[in-house]
Amino acid sequence: MAWRWLTRMKTALIILAVLGVQTLLATVVPQEPNVPATVADWRSGVAGPGTAVSQVIDVFGGYDVYGSPLFLALLLLLFTSLTACLVPRIRAFWRSARHGRPPLSRNITRQEHVATFASPLAADEVHARTRTLLARRRHRLRSADADDLGDGQVAAEKGIVSREGGSLLFHLSFYVLLVGIVLGQLTGFLGQVGVVEGSGFTDTSQAYWSTQPGRWWGYDDHTDFQLELDEFRVDWVRDVRFGGTPSLFEADVTVTEADGDVRTDTISPNVPMVVDGQKIHLLDWGYAPRIVVSDGGRVVWDGTTTARVTDDGSFRTAVKAPGADPDVGLAVALYPWAPPGEDGTPQITGAPWADDPLLVVAAYRGDLRLDQVQDVNRLDTTGLDLVDTAFVRLGGEVELADGTTVAFPELSRWAGLQVSRRPTVGLLLAGAALLLAGLVPALYAYRRRVWVRAVDDPAGGSMVTVAGRAFQRPDAFTGEFEDLVPLLRQELDAVPEDGPDDHEDAAPDDRGTDDAAVAVTSPKGGDASAPTTPTSGEEKVTT
Amino acid sequence: MTQPELAELSRFLFEPLALSLLTVSMVAYLYAMSARHVPRPDGTVATSGRRAEQAGFVLAVLGTIALAAHIVVRTLAAERMPLGNMFEFSTIIALTTVVVGLVVVVGRLKRPDLMGFLLLGAVLTMGAALLVYTEPGPLQQVLGTSWRAIHVSAIVFAAGLFTVAFVFGALYLLRDTAERHLRASMPGGSVGAARAVDLADDDLGTVPQRTSPDTVEGDVAELEEQFGKEHRRRMRAAIDPVRLAVGTLLGTSAVSWVFWVEGLRAGQDLFGSGFTRFVTVDIVMVLAALLARWAVPYLPSAATLDAMAYRTIAFAFPIWSFAVITGAIWAEQSWGRYWGWDPKETSAFLTWVAYAGYLHARATRGMKGRNAGWLAILAFGVLMFTYYGVNLVISGLHSYA
Ligand code: HEM
Repeated sequence: MAWRWLTRMKTALIILAVLGVQTLLATVVPQEPNVPATVADWRSGVAGPGTAVSQVIDVFGGYDVYGSPLFLALLLLLFTSLTACLVPRIRAFWRSARHGRPPLSRNITRQEHVATFASPLAADEVHARTRTLLARRRHRLRSADADDLGDGQVAAEKGIVSREGGSLLFHLSFYVLLVGIVLGQLTGFLGQVGVVEGSGFTDTSQAYWSTQPGRWWGYDDHTDFQLELDEFRVDWVRDVRFGGTPSLFEADVTVTEADGDVRTDTISPNVPMVVDGQKIHLLDWGYAPRIVVSDGGRVVWDGTTTARVTDDGSFRTAVKAPGADPDVGLAVALYPWAPPGEDGTPQITGAPWADDPLLVVAAYRGDLRLDQVQDVNRLDTTGLDLVDTAFVRLGGEVELADGTTVAFPELSRWAGLQVSRRPTVGLLLAGAALLLAGLVPALYAYRRRVWVRAVDDPAGGSMVTVAGRAFQRPDAFTGEFEDLVPLLRQELDAVPEDGPDDHEDAAPDDRGTDDAAVAVTSPKGGDASAPTTPTSGEEKVTT
Repeated sequence: MTQPELAELSRFLFEPLALSLLTVSMVAYLYAMSARHVPRPDGTVATSGRRAEQAGFVLAVLGTIALAAHIVVRTLAAERMPLGNMFEFSTIIALTTVVVGLVVVVGRLKRPDLMGFLLLGAVLTMGAALLVYTEPGPLQQVLGTSWRAIHVSAIVFAAGLFTVAFVFGALYLLRDTAERHLRASMPGGSVGAARAVDLADDDLGTVPQRTSPDTVEGDVAELEEQFGKEHRRRMRAAIDPVRLAVGTLLGTSAVSWVFWVEGLRAGQDLFGSGFTRFVTVDIVMVLAALLARWAVPYLPSAATLDAMAYRTIAFAFPIWSFAVITGAIWAEQSWGRYWGWDPKETSAFLTWVAYAGYLHARATRGMKGRNAGWLAILAFGVLMFTYYGVNLVISGLHSYA
């Protein structure tokens, strides 16, 4: 019962529709794996529809639709339904591909398309030549000798294997894709790391800023290569109209593989570097100001920070110096191009090029609580006291209200690299190729049947009747049939037509009497007696 | 010529030139459609219809040339392929619609009576493009790869084909309503006698029941003769204009609200220019629907329209599939992940599912015809949301790499 329900295509459609609605939800609601910060804002009510709605969203797993149990259950149900639907189809297809032959036509002249002409050949020879011709045109054949149905005939069919086979291939490609996706998830690895110009990192799990390892990914799977960022170049179209669209973005790197091989390469967007089957992409970047903080003449912090760009064009980072007493924390904003105005105050432009960098700091004192997990680039100011705010130019130094000094001696940049291992992309590509390879014949292969019957004429030669039927696109078949008939005539050495359009003028009752005349009837031909639906009797011949 | 001059010329070629040529051509075709079907008292058909059709054809060709020239000049102005932003996508969708109309619908299928509506679709797409007009400018470097070019051109081409299919599908539903009404009111008529014709496959071995399209058209042609003006009145009366208008308004609003929200997001007043856009789009679509209602008696039979909608979607669907696949390849190359469920990917997938649903509905007996027709409309709504909603609103919510 449940199985029967599952095998219906309507069921699959309903499941697909529900999946579609979920997907739509995932377009509108931010997804945690993509934009965790936005989701956090929605949860806390800072953005989005409010905390109450947010809780409802959480109940339904709306922040991670593709990881939610509901989604996975539906996917499972869809694949069960697909399987339930495909098994009988495959069986039927296999049977028909091996044994299936087109049915003979009991009443050939009552088919939708009929043409007759005379041939100088005997009926047997006509049938033999027809078989050769239609086999060459990729038809599957069945022939009957005289007696079986009165007269001998050839029945031919094409399109069925490509159409149904294509459709099956298309649906089967989903399994390939599913295996590729799931296996890829389990064994893949994704890690992001920021590297300051002139420094590097080693491929170990501690080195990454963030990682998304697959469940079957272990520490041992890291290949321990080392990467040095030799030079990082970035430039923009320096025209405010286009908002500083990047025009150059590339990184020169030197990689030392685990076996000691050293390679240099340039990574740019769309051109990742491949190391041991892992792709290294250049995805992010920021400024890396070196900041020195002194407290009472003692240096409590000297380090290069990795500032990230924000919506207003500033680059934000934080300094956390627990060496001072009490701890010093700086919230730092770097404005790359803030030239001094008329009166000497900096003019913030929001442009990303570092023509006139300005560091704005807000200094805090108190307990930084560094024993807790924190974002390195953000200062959590709860429980801290604001001491002073000030700005520093590159190469300058500023003294804050409490005597702390902040210096900004150097500005370099960092590049955000992503290391990814996707072991199943080849499989997925194959699945996608199967999908397309199946889809095209499933939609465009048309199933057609043709029958040819020759009856020996006592005066010599034979009378040939050709009939045809289309299962899809009958309108196009009219033309195909009109092309096939002259071809057959030629093959059967029939007396050629006088002109290509001759048969249009031939009256239906010329049929069989005038050797030169061909009558082609089609639904448009106005043969009122020809029914539009074939009689069902002839179909029984097959079984 | 300098870049700004080229930019100005490309803008001129688009609007007013191409837009007005295509609009006038649309009017000519719509007029021709009506004139060719209305018999004079002496039984002949007015020749003005034929002349209007010829004029419409010439104007459409000129408009197409202007639109193509616009794209070429814009390419020169921006010094890159014009496949970088929504304005450019819309332009190519409109071009696809007109070219498919001229080459396939008018040229091959000999259906000039549908050209007016295809031009309407193209003109509306161009109008919507002006709502998101962007000066020609450089692209982000990440977009400069040949996978992107393949991906984007396939997406945009398929979207153009889906637009054509939407026109056919919407006209089918209207025409079908009118035909049913007519048949039901005819003595001895039976509702639902006209069935979709070609199309969808039967299961292995069984024989489809079908009527030839000509039988249906023959019926209607007969009716036409029988009833003339009265017949046209009754066909139109079958469609309640208020319901049509309200339905179109609601359906359009399901997508067009994004213009309003975009305006609000940009800090406009509640009833600022975003609101004006929202209302304008709605009103234009309602007017288009009422125009289609007026044209119902002149349209090809419902079965023909249905078949054309199906064939167009069946043609576009593999192209869309290909586009989504190349998108994933590009994402893998650019970002190291082939699929990240970001809103754009999600909605492209959703559009794919919606059209796959339509193809399935066509293949299932008992779901043919109107239900499938509605699914085609819904799928186009999903496509439009993918296109306008995700670009204008969702990516404003949280932007990605
Ligand atoms: C991921 C979901 C699916 C997609 C995207 C999909 C897509 C398609 C497409 C594009 C066709 C060709 C339609 C045509 O020939 O007119 C098709 C045919 C078909 N599908 Fe699916 N399919 C899906 C799932 C299923 C499932 C779960 C079932 C079974 C319950 C199913 C059953 C069929 C059948 C019976 C056909 C034959 C129609 C024909 O060949 O004419 N499909 N499918």
